[in-house]
Amino acid sequence: MPNRSPLLEVRSLHVGFRIFEGHLRVLDGVTLSVHEGERVGLVGETGCGKTTTVKSVLRVLPMPPAKVTGGEILYRGRDVLKMHRHALHILRRQELTAIFQDPLQSLNPVFTIGSQLRDIVRDSMRTPEGKPLSRREIEARCIQALEETGMPDPARIMSNYPIQLSGGMRQRVCIAEALSTNARLLLADEPTTNLDVTIQDQILRKLDRLVDQKGASVLMITHSMGVVRDLTQRIYIMYAGSVVETGPTRQLLASPRHPYTEGLMASVPRLTGRGVSEGIPGRIPNYLAPPPGCRFHPRCPHRMPECSVEAPPMFDVGADQRAACYLYRRPSP
Amino acid sequence: MRDETKANLLAAWRQRRRNLAHGWYKYSRNPLSVIGLAVLALIVLVAILAPYIAPYPGHAKAYTNFREASQPPSAKHFFGTDRIGRDIFSRTLFGYRFSLMIGAVVLALGVAPGVILGLLAGYRRGTWIEVVIMRVTDVFLAVPPLVLALAITAMLTPNLLNQMMAIALVWWPWYSRLVFSLASSLRNEYFVKEAELTGASQFHILFREILPNCFAPIMTKMTLDMGLVILIESTLSFVGLGIQPPKPALGTMVAEGAKRLPAEWWSTIFPALAIVIVILAFNLIGDGLRDVFAVEDV
Amino acid sequence: MTEPILEARGLTKFFPTKRGTVRAVDQIDFAMAPGDTLGLVGESGSGKTTTAQCVVGIYAPTQGDILFQGRSIGATAAKRSRDLKREIRIVFQDPGSSLNPKRTIKQILATPLAVHRMASGREQLARISALLERVELPPTEYLYKHPQSIGGGEKQMVAIARALATDPSFVVLDEPTSALDVSVQAKIINLLLGLQKEMGLTYLFITHDMSLMRNAASRVAIMYLGKLSEIADTADFFQMPLHPYTKMLLSSIPVVSDEEESLKPAKGISRGEIPSPVNVPPGCSFHSRCPSRMEICDKVDPTTVEVAPGHVVRCHLFPLRREIS
Repeated sequence: MPNRSPLLEVRSLHVGFRIFEGHLRVLDGVTLSVHEGERVGLVGETGCGKTTTVKSVLRVLPMPPAKVTGGEILYRGRDVLKMHRHALHILRRQELTAIFQDPLQSLNPVFTIGSQLRDIVRDSMRTPEGKPLSRREIEARCIQALEETGMPDPARIMSNYPIQLSGGMRQRVCIAEALSTNARLLLADEPTTNLDVTIQDQILRKLDRLVDQKGASVLMITHSMGVVRDLTQRIYIMYAGSVVETGPTRQLLASPRHPYTEGLMASVPRLTGRGVSEGIPGRIPNYLAPPPGCRFHPRCPHRMPECSVEAPPMFDVGADQRAACYLYRRPSP
Repeated sequence: MRDETKANLLAAWRQRRRNLAHGWYKYSRNPLSVIGLAVLALIVLVAILAPYIAPYPGHAKAYTNFREASQPPSAKHFFGTDRIGRDIFSRTLFGYRFSLMIGAVVLALGVAPGVILGLLAGYRRGTWIEVVIMRVTDVFLAVPPLVLALAITAMLTPNLLNQMMAIALVWWPWYSRLVFSLASSLRNEYFVKEAELTGASQFHILFREILPNCFAPIMTKMTLDMGLVILIESTLSFVGLGIQPPKPALGTMVAEGAKRLPAEWWSTIFPALAIVIVILAFNLIGDGLRDVFAVEDV
Repeated sequence: MTEPILEARGLTKFFPTKRGTVRAVDQIDFAMAPGDTLGLVGESGSGKTTTAQCVVGIYAPTQGDILFQGRSIGATAAKRSRDLKREIRIVFQDPGSSLNPKRTIKQILATPLAVHRMASGREQLARISALLERVELPPTEYLYKHPQSIGGGEKQMVAIARALATDPSFVVLDEPTSALDVSVQAKIINLLLGLQKEMGLTYLFITHDMSLMRNAASRVAIMYLGKLSEIADTADFFQMPLHPYTKMLLSSIPVVSDEEESLKPAKGISRGEIPSPVNVPPGCSFHSRCPSRMEICDKVDPTTVEVAPGHVVRCHLFPLRREIS
């Protein structure tokens, strides 16, 4: 891991939601970091809090009902949660960018692709002298951005409305929008989940290349182990509101250590075809009354008495790989 | 086995209670709806108990007392008296009885056929059944409801029963159209497809699968409509086509009093206020119900 | 092959629309032996779901026929016999939409039993409890719950129990796990495979997930724009994929280990998007995306060729029966 200070650092983030039944304690101390130029995956199943994490970073969680009850989110050392509206605006405009799962929700249906793309470029880009771009420069930048995503006939696409495009094309537009600016950190929340595999493959390859060219950092949120394996160098596995394991992607997927990650990896159907495992017994806890200690302990095959007492810290389990599980506690010297 | 059944029923009951509590939580987040409900509860109670709590229950019938005629509001007569000396407060309480009863009966008569026709037309969309039902509905909807109700009552002898029938006849098309649009989208849901593939009867599909999913909007509309029905009833009574004197209909009372404005303002203002309050209460409750049935994000 | 339990012969389903005819399913043939699991794989718009819906009787075929145990069943469910509806059942993709939110699980499971007059009263309750136990849901806990108060995986278990309520012999699984997490998917697939053995079921498994088919299906069929490109027994299929589209699909699958990586054909050959089924390209409909496109491809539609026993391909690269090295 590079020693420089990270671009994005989330420290022990706690987020809850107040609803009728009580207080949902969703994020329970999420800690993660993304360094300059690094690609990081955040992997977990439905309801594990990965989207809540991203929304917290972008500060787009509706509050109330959501409430940050602890921790901090540092972007280049500055706490995003404490930023004033103006600073946040600049941050979102020039540094952060995001792609979401459903492009129809991020694209406005009543404006053409061109007018949406032009707005983004006009607002977030400046000439080297710090002046706004001219109309012609904006147009050229938009066409270029669409072209870069492998879109055929960008000039025509510019005059289309979102519903006139296929799902894959819409997601390409979102990628073009996200990468048309010089953003430093791309947050991608399940960008290819709704797409067919052949289209997913094309889009991920494109994204891969574009991110390389721009030298941007990526935080990729997904439930697909295969997708992170192709696209990221390091991953965090999330379960029930906290990170349970982290490490270099390929190494972690090849030798998962945390019992949850093990169960998850055994559930993934393989092309080698050795059948599928029994899955993981039980289900994700109720966030109203999450189990004390390690939140995975009620489903864990290696449960020990201390698991239900206190949540385990991260223990080293391999080169740069760490897991939050008492199985890997070193005997005290 | 019996213990188990008991445990099952207990679990079901708990679940139902939890759902009710959640519903009330959502409803009560809007204080105006709570006020509306409280006001309506009071009105219903007062209407039911009118013979016992009205200061002059006899005044709801044919009664004259010219010595006390046209009295302004006082401690003896809260709302004053009308031109033949009847206590307007007592008559207003009895007036509520008629209004609420008419509202309830009209909706009972009008909603059921409207809902059934709408269900059938929506589920059989694209067939002649839909064409017949919905075109007839359109014809009824094309005529303003008040005009239609006036026309029908004018043809019949003006009395309580005919008035209710006339309003019910005006009312069903709104429900057939509402349920038609709900049913024609619900029939594409997979649970309906599944029931068809299983071979379930049309009766089962209409009333067990589709209808329960229409309850929320129907309930909301019914609540809002109670106010409207009362308003139409009052209007009919106002023009003399409703309940005949000496029975105390709120609309008739407003009409009677209006002749003596502005001097005897109380004889028209208080019954009119009574109408406004009950309609407002129903509307506030309707808003609250809409909140309860709305899908929540978090 | 033994007497097939289900056979599609030239099965065709077109939908007339304002913008032209949607050729959803176009002349497909396949046969399934009892106890088989045929994985029907394709991208969205390939016609795999329409095929399934023709089999269960949501649609009647425009042309061609479907045979079930030798008898023609090419009609909508309304025209099918009660017995047939009992024999062929379906599990839909989204249990959120296939379970009526206003009915309890007991009511949901009672419907097929009542419709087919299989049990009533106390016996019905016992049957429902047994069905729930079969899908590993404790009856006392679930009988009186509504679908929205249980998890997605549990809902799908209820949907499976409902499909099995009538003791069918043939079940269509229309993407039963694509809306679920992998750990839940694993549980459901295991359950389905167990039930298949126990009850002697035949599955038509519609999916877009090739890795899943590798582990669940006994035969795999690939569908593209309403036509079948390749069918083979699962082991064959993954060892020796022949059709260029199959190879494109396989190369696109994100995998999680080096071992799997080595099974995939060359990486990065995916290109283009599936055209609209209203404007199907002439000749072989795949030619617009095909990396091994030849002169003939946009002129003549290839015919199906059995290149090895049970391994059928529809591609000009395989004009005749020949040995594959």
